[in-house]
Amino acid sequence: MILKTHEDQDLLVAEVQLEEANLTQSDGFKEEMIALIDQGNHHILVDFRKVKYVDSSFLGALVSALKYAMAQEGDVAVVNLNKDIHDLFSLIRLDKVFKIFPDRKSAIIDSNK
Amino acid sequence: MLNTDSKKILLVDDNRLVLALMSKALSKEGFECLKADSALEAIEILKDKIPDLILSDYEMPEMDGFQFRAYLMLDAVLKNIPFIFLTSISDETLMAKGLSLKAIDYILKDTPVHVVVSKINNLLQTVREQHQQSIRELSGIAQALNLRAIPKEIPKLKGFMLDFWHKSYQNYPGGDFIDFIVIDERYACVVLGDVMGKKWGAWFFSFSFLSYIRAAVRLCVFDGDYSTASILKKINKVIYHDPVLSDILSTLSIIMIDQQEGSITYSGAGDLPLLHYIAKEKKLELVKSTGLLLGVFQEGLYTEHSFKPGLGDQLILITDGIIDYENESGKMSDHNLFIKIIEPLLGVEDTFKQFQKNIFITQKSKEQIDDCSIIFIQKEAI
Repeated sequence: MILKTHEDQDLLVAEVQLEEANLTQSDGFKEEMIALIDQGNHHILVDFRKVKYVDSSFLGALVSALKYAMAQEGDVAVVNLNKDIHDLFSLIRLDKVFKIFPDRKSAIIDSNK
Repeated sequence: MLNTDSKKILLVDDNRLVLALMSKALSKEGFECLKADSALEAIEILKDKIPDLILSDYEMPEMDGFQFRAYLMLDAVLKNIPFIFLTSISDETLMAKGLSLKAIDYILKDTPVHVVVSKINNLLQTVREQHQQSIRELSGIAQALNLRAIPKEIPKLKGFMLDFWHKSYQNYPGGDFIDFIVIDERYACVVLGDVMGKKWGAWFFSFSFLSYIRAAVRLCVFDGDYSTASILKKINKVIYHDPVLSDILSTLSIIMIDQQEGSITYSGAGDLPLLHYIAKEKKLELVKSTGLLLGVFQEGLYTEHSFKPGLGDQLILITDGIIDYENESGKMSDHNLFIKIIEPLLGVEDTFKQFQKNIFITQKSKEQIDDCSIIFIQKEAI
């Protein structure tokens, strides 16, 4: 399993269990995300605290999962991006695609709004 | 996945002594050994690392070698790692069971180490040769069909010098695509994109994108619309609604060159900023586009920047492979580092040649972790 999940109030937190999130893991990651959404978890917070590097294939899988969630009126947000990954998100405008939270607490506050 | 000189082996055995002895012997012969004393530990290791070969015992508690192999067979990536059973029993029924799970060979534990090493080397060599052969055949077919994701020729334009550098990931065709479309005597369009993904999958989709892009550029131009933002909007709309492509994401940078006016218009979708070196001020500016990756949302927030570059101005478009690099602490992406490296090379007469000679960039072609592309445009006197 690439994701370790737990529920925090109404939000499902899915923590990526990889240091290097790349092509070899992107399909598996997408499948796990889609399975979670199919199980009725429409609002997922993907936690990147363990991830040091993410490649474009993995980001592609993350966006695919978001599109899948949005088709079911859900959402996928991200949390705990390291500086490099955060910069990469801003550089390719993924910061306009995903809600990015500095920590889980602020994500939960936002989800309760 | 298979580097020509890589020799990473995952050893799986519940007997720690066998594990230690085998690992010592194989390390001496230049193999990098990953050790797991159970199939479950091996599965953990495989989440992060992909070895070139798995050598596994079959009598193990909890999950035995057959169950381990059956588990790997369910995974699209893991099932393709060459798998050898290491065993102390010579039993034909067990061997038949293993072979039905597509294990490629058996090695008895009392086989002398040098024989084991030759066996592994032969096997890795065969796998590599087959792999190279498949790539050659597929590349041959692609060439025969005249499928190209990079241009055959660089057009000659009035007042603009154009060039590009492209290196595919480990010599596989990849997701980067480049195109130069000469529309008429006045306009020419420069296209750079990166389909997210690597190797064949991305390469295949890059053709679909290129076909859409070529069509969108032509359709806009036929209507007298030379706006790069309009072109991007059209492409995005088509991709967003395409049931196959909507799942594939791509960046795109488009520059429309107006040779008559000496001006350019630039728009981007999830791309890295256009680098504009202003010769007069000896200054590098980052021209940031606003658009989202193609196919994410129906409205992609596409806008455009139009300007007249001065004489000697240089424009550089890149894809993300060029900003990725690897050091002792792992892989990273660093756009600022790339800028720091190329900045001293800007504004000289042969900037692009200097790029090609630059150690950082040439080193990339050897150690890169993704496709790398650079498009270079220089404003010249007419």
